[in-house]
Amino acid sequence: MEGLLAGNEDAVRQLYARYARPIFTLGLRLLGSAEAAEELTQDVFLAAWRKAARFDPARGRLSTWLMTIAHNLAVDRLRRDTGVTKPHLVLVDEVPETLSADEDEPLMERDAAIRALESLSDAEKRLLARAYFGGLTAREIAQDDGIPLGTVKTRLRTALIKVRRANEDKEWP
Amino acid sequence: MAVTCLGVRELLPELAIGVLAPAERDEVERHLRWCAGCRKEASELGQAAATFAFALAPVPVPNGLGEKIVERVRHVAGRPGTPRRARTTAASIVAAMVAVASLGWAAAMAGRAERFEDRANRAEQQGAEALETFVRAIQNVVPPGQDLPEEQFHLGPLAPTAEGQGGGGAVLQLVSPNFLDFSMVIVNGLGPQAANNLPYRVQLLNAAGQVLRAGRITELDADGGAEVFHQFANKDLSGYSTVQVLDADGVVVLTGGIERNPSGP
Repeated sequence: MEGLLAGNEDAVRQLYARYARPIFTLGLRLLGSAEAAEELTQDVFLAAWRKAARFDPARGRLSTWLMTIAHNLAVDRLRRDTGVTKPHLVLVDEVPETLSADEDEPLMERDAAIRALESLSDAEKRLLARAYFGGLTAREIAQDDGIPLGTVKTRLRTALIKVRRANEDKEWP
Repeated sequence: MAVTCLGVRELLPELAIGVLAPAERDEVERHLRWCAGCRKEASELGQAAATFAFALAPVPVPNGLGEKIVERVRHVAGRPGTPRRARTTAASIVAAMVAVASLGWAAAMAGRAERFEDRANRAEQQGAEALETFVRAIQNVVPPGQDLPEEQFHLGPLAPTAEGQGGGGAVLQLVSPNFLDFSMVIVNGLGPQAANNLPYRVQLLNAAGQVLRAGRITELDADGGAEVFHQFANKDLSGYSTVQVLDADGVVVLTGGIERNPSGP
């Protein structure tokens, strides 16, 4: 991170080599075009450089920090472009069950993520995906499904805690 | 909204997923600044939510994207040809200032403020304290005679206006022929109603009345404080020596000017 903070090109390249692909992938899924995903990826690395002094490894992993920046920037862009939070993607298909055979260099993070998501039921995966990829708030999900808001919040929390526990034993950077 | 740990924790899953409404997100993030317990839970839930992003089947990135990013970071970090050591020094100064300001100064000033009954004295003290913070940070990082001459740094206090909510602050500018100019503004002690007047914006003015935007304050910490850093890619800050902080209604709440640099008396 010191290298990134200093604008060190090698540090930027190292981060790029490791995280550009999942960031670009997330941008493509959320924003729907390669052009928008490319802009998002650039913005994420620039934001990471600007915020590098505030990154605290005691508060979370670098990979999580970068992906949170990416997701927040993408959601902000969607809100700015549409004026409202709108669902953009569907849904459970976005959560792959297995590594595909043609991935010559699967990321360690992806392997661990897929294993962690195996702790969820299909209904929990769908619920989290509707919020994370679809941009639906708990209130919107409650209205769509005709169930109490408190129930949706509880289910979201329960699902995230399951993933968190499944992640606890993983050795992510 | 009443911000309690119970209320905040109810909202943390949506914060982690990124779908919390902006107003609620601001409230929660303000709470997280001082509540370690909720902050820990937010971090863990955020990590869980990010798992979804990493589980996506990766797609190839476009050719040349890496070089574009390196070029953008290079451009922002320093002009082409700038010695790397100097860029590092500049970035380290900013990092040190941000760290000092966010870790120690706000808390120190919150305790100090209680000992001053008079608002003007309190504001003056806050401004002086911020100046000392800047000076110490720069002196620690850039010994005299190194790459960034001290005379390129300019400091000044910010004082409350009659229309404002009290408080104070300070501004640091780098005005350099060799590096991207930047301004950093620290505010603190804005009154309890200040959060209702967000977002604040920082602007710089020159003698001709020309205005440069120098950033926005979208949230305040528990002490009514915030810091704003803005780097100017294509603008020389020479002459922009008046600083104003305006609330959401355009009312100037803090104002001040560049008075001296760290090597001054």
